[in-house]
Parts: sequence; C-alpha cells; structure tokens
Amino acid sequence: MISRTKAAYAYIVARTKVMKSRLLKSEDFRKLLNMSFDEIMRFLEETEYKKEIDEMAYKYSGPKLLDYALSSNLAKTYRKIYSVSFGDAKMLIGQYLRRWDVWNLINIIRGKNANLPAEVIEETFVPAGEFSLEDLRSMLSKEISEIAKELEGTIYGEALSKIGSVPMSVVEDELWKSYYRAVLSVKANDFESRVFTHFVRMEVDLRNIKTILRLKAEGDTAEEIIARIVPGGYELTEEEARKLATMTFEEVSKSLEGFWFGKITNVHDLGRAEIELDKIWIEAIAKRAGNYPLSVLPVLQYIVLKKVEVDNLRILGWGKWHSIPNEEIEKEMVIV
Amino acid sequence: MAEIQPTRMELIKLRRRIKMAVRGHALLKMKRDGLIMEFRELLEEAKVAIQKMVENYNKAQQKLLIAMAIDGFPALRSIALSCCRVPPTFSVKRKSIMGVVVPVIKREKVAKRAIEKPYGILSTSVRIDEAVTAYEELVDSILEVAEIETTIRKLLEEIERTKRRVNALEYRVIPRMNELARFIAFKLEEMDRENIIRLKKLKMKKAKK
Repeated sequence: MISRTKAAYAYIVARTKVMKSRLLKSEDFRKLLNMSFDEIMRFLEETEYKKEIDEMAYKYSGPKLLDYALSSNLAKTYRKIYSVSFGDAKMLIGQYLRRWDVWNLINIIRGKNANLPAEVIEETFVPAGEFSLEDLRSMLSKEISEIAKELEGTIYGEALSKIGSVPMSVVEDELWKSYYRAVLSVKANDFESRVFTHFVRMEVDLRNIKTILRLKAEGDTAEEIIARIVPGGYELTEEEARKLATMTFEEVSKSLEGFWFGKITNVHDLGRAEIELDKIWIEAIAKRAGNYPLSVLPVLQYIVLKKVEVDNLRILGWGKWHSIPNEEIEKEMVIV
Repeated sequence: MAEIQPTRMELIKLRRRIKMAVRGHALLKMKRDGLIMEFRELLEEAKVAIQKMVENYNKAQQKLLIAMAIDGFPALRSIALSCCRVPPTFSVKRKSIMGVVVPVIKREKVAKRAIEKPYGILSTSVRIDEAVTAYEELVDSILEVAEIETTIRKLLEEIERTKRRVNALEYRVIPRMNELARFIAFKLEEMDRENIIRLKKLKMKKAKK
C-alpha cells in the first residue's frame, strides 16, 4: 500500500510533470530569438501567459507589460503548485516559497523608507509566498515599526528588530539568512527533509559563492565577506567560505575547482559567472530530481525552471525592445 | 569742460589720474588676458568632463537596460526605492581665480562598494550592482560638470565686466582726461602768454613815462 506521504509526492510530481512539459524548450527560445518584440508577444498570447498579458494590458505596454505579466504568472503558478499539494510536500513547498515573502517584505520596507505611495510599492509584489496579497496590502497601510511588531516571534522578527540600528543592506541580508535558517530547520519525514535540505544547502552554496566573488572582486575584507555569508552551505560551509574570503580573487577562482559548482570558466566577468553558476545549478538539480523522482525535488526543479523561463522571456523582451543583438541576448539567457 | 578750473594744480591732479588710469588699464588688460587664458583651459577641462558625462550616461543606460532585462522592472524599481533615499552629499567652497570667486564642489564620491550600497547583497545580482555603480558614476560626473560650468559662467561674467572696463578706460575715460589735460595745458599756456603780453605792455608804458 502506498503511504500518504508517497501519494502526496506522486500526485504533486505528476501535476508538476504536466506543468513542466508546458515550459518553453531551448528550441523555442532559439526560435523566439529570431522574432521581433511584437512577434514574441503574439507567441506568448498563445501560451499560458495570455491571461496575465490581457489582464495587464490596460495598465502597461511594451516590455513593462511583459515584465509584469511574467511576474504575475510566476506568482500564480507558484500559488497553484502550493494549493494542489498536500501533506509534507505542501509544507516543504510552502517553506521554500517563503522566499517571496522576504522579497515582498524587503520591498515594503524600502518603499516605506522612501515615502513612496502604496500603489508604487504594490507594483513590486510577487505574492507567491505565505503572505497573501491582502496581507501585503494591510502591511502597506502600517508603519515599519508596526510591521516589525506584528512580525515579532516569526522568522523575520529578529532581522526586523535591527531596523534603525544597522544599515538597511544588513537588515535585508539578515532577512535572507533568517529565511534560510528557517528553511534548513524544517522537520519532515527523515528522507524528505534530507533531500529538501540538501537542495537548499546547494542553493546556499551558490548564493555564497556569488557573494564571495562579487565582494572579492571589489577587494572587500574577509570580515566584511563573512558577515554576508549564509550559514548552512552544502560544500561551501562557513569554514570553507572563511577560507575563500581570506584568499585573493585569483586564488578564489582557482580554488573553485574542488566544489560541485567549480566548472565555471569565466570568473572574471562576474555577470557571465552568475549565469554559468545558474546553468550548473539547473543541471545539478535535474540530475538529483532524476535520482529521486518521488520526492519534493522534481517540484523544486520545476519551481526553479519556471523562474528561469520567466527570466529568459524577460531578457528576450527587453533585449528585443531595445534592439540588442541576438548574440548578446543569448549570452544573458540561461538556456540549458 | 567748462566746470574744470584750468589751474596748474588741476593739471597736476589730472595728470596723476591719467597715469593711474593708464596703469589700471594695463592691469585690467592683463587681467582680461589672464582670465581668457584661464577660461580656455577650463573650456578644455569642460569638454573632457562633458564627454566623460555623456559616456557615463550611455554606459549607465546600457547597464540599466541589462539589469532590467535580467532582474526585471519590479526588482529594479525596488532597488531604486532603496537608493533614492541617499542623495549625493557635497559641500560648496570658494576659491579665487584672479579675484573671481568661483565655487569648488567638494563631493564625497557617490560611487560606493557593493557592501556600502543601500540594498542587500543576497537579494541582488552583479548586474544590478553594475547599473547602480554606473549611475553613481554618472552623478559624480554631473557634479564635476556642474562645478566646471559654474566656474566658466562666473569667469565669462568677469571677462565681460573686465572687457567693458578696459574698453571704457581705453576709449572714453583716458581720451577724455587727455583732452581735458590738453585743454588745461592750452589754457595755462594762453594765460602765460596773456601774462607775458600784459607784462610787456606794462614795461612799455613804464618806458614811455
């Protein structure tokens, strides 16, 4: 007899498999590369993005329309995955999607600090996490101190309590650290939590190596870099990160070979390096999702792939709108 | 001219004033030439600064476009929310170029390291850093151009003023004073001649007696 946990995964994996089959393939992207902006929009009007494009068309036009439609579709897709899942799978997916709460929370604080109207801040929301659009709207009507008080006792409480005493950049990074701390401490079925945390820890590795490369390239000190490292990496543990932080940029680039993401060829162009790291990440999760087909991994893989698709379409849209050569657009896209 | 008393004292005073005006004229001419030279040098500096500003603007636009394409408009807008709270800080001091007070903008470099930027490292990409840095550099170069432009404007005003003074001295004040001096000298000579004749006549009268 199939256990309830296995059934939950079988169901959600089957649902995401169907959704994954609807994702644009690399051939589609190459085809889109040869189209004009209007042709791309027409193409997308025949896909699942149609509804969002039509909904947003009264307010926006050009690449902004595409951008907001993509964000809206992304949020809708993630909410759908969460709503159709159940049991441990729902809990794990929910935990993972809380990253969007961090994103929205950061936007609210930034907007409030800049005294911007609520409508402007609301435009940056991607309500794909635990906070619904209504929750976020109600936060918009409050002061930052009230929001911090309201979120006391949650995973964000500690980071938010630092507002005013440390720079906002530190608060933002602390919010992300709180998110990863919470995600890495989830208690699910042993195997599931192991597979899930392994995935998140690999993601933490990527975040950390991107941070190290970015700050090393600017010549920041080891202490400054360590302060921005997210604890809980898979291979890039705090200790390893500390070691890399004390090295020179050249030494760091040579030391990467020993890590699972060490295949990057162009460390000196940080933009390209980030794209390469994303490609390596997608290949790694595809492999792991293949190894554990009845787990949360195929769902997480879909979540990542959907984000990559949205990012690629956005790059295409803006690139085409501003007549950037195809080769340049392609270089910025993550096509695996 | 009629108001001037054609006395020797007046002539001496007038000659002194002419001497001073000539010296002033020469000095003002030198000042004008000096200011023009300074202006030309500044013009070259301005050309370089404006060229740099235009380049920085194009670069910033390009970087913004790439960041927008990669991270999306909402993300960029969100970053802009955190950055617009930090206006560039600068103080205006004064320096003197040949007596012309011009502003010197002492500015703190707007361009900051990623770690000093007002947004978190973990939620942003290198492309956003590049775009923000490019715009920070643009603000730096705008401030530089503003400083040079204000200096140039002040110098131009001063050159114009000095030119007017030089011309006034050269074509009006000095010629008028020279004419006046000539008039007084002529009058004095005439008075001398009258005196001589008067004396001669007195002498003749005395001789007849």
